[in-house]
Amino acid sequence: MESSPTQEFEYLFKLLMIGDSGVGKSSLLLCFTSDSFEDLSPTIGVDFKVKYLTMEGKKLKLAIWDTAGQERFRTLTSSYYRGAQGIIMAYDVTRRETFTNLSEIWAKEIDLYSTNPECVKMLVGNKVDKESDRVVTKKEGIDFARECGCLFTECSAKTRANVQQCFEELVLKILDTPSLLAEGSKGNKKNIFKDKPSQSDATSSCC
Amino acid sequence: MEEQTFVSKARTAFHSAAAKAERVLLDFKSDREDHDKQSSPNTFTGQQPEAESPHTNENDSKLRSELKHIKWRPPHLGIKQDWQDRIKNIRRGRKEVEDTDKVGDASMAVPFYDDNLYLLNMKNDLEAKASEAIPSVESLTAATKDPIPPSSVLKQLAIAVEAGSKAKSMKDLIASSGVSSPARERAGLSFSAVKALVLREKEDKLTSEFTSNEKVVQLINSLFDPEGDFLRRKINSNLEETAMTSLPRDIHGAPPESLVVKLAEILGNYKTLRKMALFWCRVVAELRKLWSEEQYLPGVPQNEIPDLKSCLLYQHFQVINCCISRKRFRIIATESLDSMMMQANSDIKESTDCCAGAPASPVLYARLNSGELVLRLGADHPAGDMTLLETGEPVYSPITQEGPLLTEDLIRETEEFVLRTGSVGAGCSQLLSDMQAFKAANPGCILEDFVRWYSPPDWTDNEASTEDSDVFDSGEPLSTRGQLSQRMQKEGNLWRELWETSKPVPAVKQAPLFDEDLALEGILNAFEDIHPSDLFGQLFVSLLGLGFAIAEPMLSSNSDFSKLFYDCKEYIIVACQNNKLNEKVDDLVQVYETVEKMLLDPEEALKMIRQTEESTMVTGEPRSPFRTLSLIFGGKDKLLRKSVSKDQTNDEEKSGRQSFSSFFDSKSSLFGKKPPKSGFPSPSAKSSIDTGWTVV
Repeated sequence: MESSPTQEFEYLFKLLMIGDSGVGKSSLLLCFTSDSFEDLSPTIGVDFKVKYLTMEGKKLKLAIWDTAGQERFRTLTSSYYRGAQGIIMAYDVTRRETFTNLSEIWAKEIDLYSTNPECVKMLVGNKVDKESDRVVTKKEGIDFARECGCLFTECSAKTRANVQQCFEELVLKILDTPSLLAEGSKGNKKNIFKDKPSQSDATSSCC
Repeated sequence: MEEQTFVSKARTAFHSAAAKAERVLLDFKSDREDHDKQSSPNTFTGQQPEAESPHTNENDSKLRSELKHIKWRPPHLGIKQDWQDRIKNIRRGRKEVEDTDKVGDASMAVPFYDDNLYLLNMKNDLEAKASEAIPSVESLTAATKDPIPPSSVLKQLAIAVEAGSKAKSMKDLIASSGVSSPARERAGLSFSAVKALVLREKEDKLTSEFTSNEKVVQLINSLFDPEGDFLRRKINSNLEETAMTSLPRDIHGAPPESLVVKLAEILGNYKTLRKMALFWCRVVAELRKLWSEEQYLPGVPQNEIPDLKSCLLYQHFQVINCCISRKRFRIIATESLDSMMMQANSDIKESTDCCAGAPASPVLYARLNSGELVLRLGADHPAGDMTLLETGEPVYSPITQEGPLLTEDLIRETEEFVLRTGSVGAGCSQLLSDMQAFKAANPGCILEDFVRWYSPPDWTDNEASTEDSDVFDSGEPLSTRGQLSQRMQKEGNLWRELWETSKPVPAVKQAPLFDEDLALEGILNAFEDIHPSDLFGQLFVSLLGLGFAIAEPMLSSNSDFSKLFYDCKEYIIVACQNNKLNEKVDDLVQVYETVEKMLLDPEEALKMIRQTEESTMVTGEPRSPFRTLSLIFGGKDKLLRKSVSKDQTNDEEKSGRQSFSSFFDSKSSLFGKKPPKSGFPSPSAKSSIDTGWTVV
């Protein structure tokens, strides 16, 4: 649970986290927004958190949507691809199946449901703290990211290694993309926070 | 233009000179176009800017002027002939218009003569209206012989988009006096006021006459005929499938051959905004009828979730068909379940009478540890070779409810709602529904069984259980067969709380996660209240996409035209992805006319290309087929005005979606906070679970 005070911002960006169940998406998000670690119960449907940042002199508000990876929730979560400027594709370096499913399942979901042709995608390998159990090498991750045309990083939500950099790198790439920057601008009429930003700051967990 | 010039001469020489001077000024001061239009009190001079688009380059302007001169000059017209003779000639000339290709040109002349006829003779005016070309199944079918829809059809939709942005609702268009262009609408205000006094009592009669008109009924029947090939054109399939389908989605249109595109072609053939609006109302009435009869819409997939890259109208049509599929399936599933339960009851009697132990095959049972047989409800198919941990019975995947069908507007609304309230109840609703269905299909199951089926990564098998699989040992402790993941075992885990609260209820007997009737009522109401510029804008873009999709295989291999064609295609993609379609419809029509000319009159198109190239070389300007467009992009005042109207449109859209916000509000109360643990004491929970089963 996090309660943020109302803050001013100039840009709002929507980020989406996808990947198999149990790879650590929710823990990554908690680590980034609260700098803490918990072995969280499985996400039911979708959850979200809000994070304020200042980067390159711009005040940013990130709405980060966390999705359940179970197959039954896929129709429900497919709605949240719409309009996302950034998408994080997460896998667990200790479970090869979660890496394989990125190309078998999740990349196809992005093609189907993403409505933003220029959205920035980032491949994230989590749980690198379990080096002795690793089954997906860093090189495999790099090769897949290059093939997919997306950013790549490895991190650990448990040790908090590289998590902050992961999200910041994604946001920097969004800021470097003019069409995405324009979409996130507060002046953009499509921006859902334009009229009532003060009511949108509270974050809460499911139910 | 000859008629225009002639009529001007009927006035004093001074007025004639003033008209010519004004035309010259407008040619050089196109940036003041709107201001001049508003200030001009003169009916006839007000028409000139419309007749000659100031955005056309000089060559095109002259070319069109010459073409119209040739087409519309009656060969026998003389200065000395009186009005009656001229009227007869006009009627004779209009009867010769047979091709739909030329109807668009006729629309330029008709309103002009309407005004004159009114001045001279109201009766003649009414007669003239009666002879106006009316679209019919025959005329539209004949038009499909052209390779792509005529640009006149697209132009009429463009006129509707522009006029629609000034109207408040579709009802405004129905109430209008039938003018077909913004300029004429303003110029004819005084005439409209007078006509309204005379014709007001006949308005209702005209409306009912339109909707029951034989041609309209035939058009509706053909449009919704699932077996017909009405308005089907040959689309060359040599290109890759992706190329064919990508353009309509890039411009947020609708697939070729879909219901939206056919509707666009029909509406674009009507000559007045009022009739376009009336036909749309007739379509909405037909949609209500099809929904009440559970009949599919033709030209729309029958069971696909909305395609967010297509226009909203197409998404709504997809939802309609998907809801029909779901309703049909639920009826079948409910009948199947009821039939099975009746069979089970009669099996009990037979078993008692004959002492037969084997039940009939369609009825599925599971045996509990106590030896009782319990009916499986809503079981779909075996879940691989999984067996229940405690009873050893096979695990069945249940029939489950499907999630909500969300179009782009509802997705935006849902997201705003979740962000504003923090409620994420939709996931919990679905999980609870799935748990209840699983319990009904698998009597004797425990949470671990559900997790193994629903979320395999959260279960770990022990190797010991694999080795012991051949030996049945009911006394074996659960912990040695496997265990839930750490995160699933956490105290306060909502999955376990939902599991404890769920009852065994098959999906078809549960409260619906997505209420089809409520959703469809919202869609049909939105159709009735749709803003004209929203409707005609989507139809315009869809028809534009069809024309380009058909033209691409024909022109892409033509060395003379492929470059220009792809320039046109790129332009429309960029223009349509922009928010401000209203400002671009005229330019898009020009682009479309260019493509049309490349197909229908290639030699003329080649000449135009060479002229453009020569003039570019002479002037030294950068080569671009759309040089005049820079004037539009540079017009900031215009952008600001359009922005204001766009904001109003957005506000109207949001207010129209109030009912769905209340729908989600009611859902949020279910999961506003976690249920207290003390509410579920273990003994009573177990007993309630037991009493939920159907014991045989």
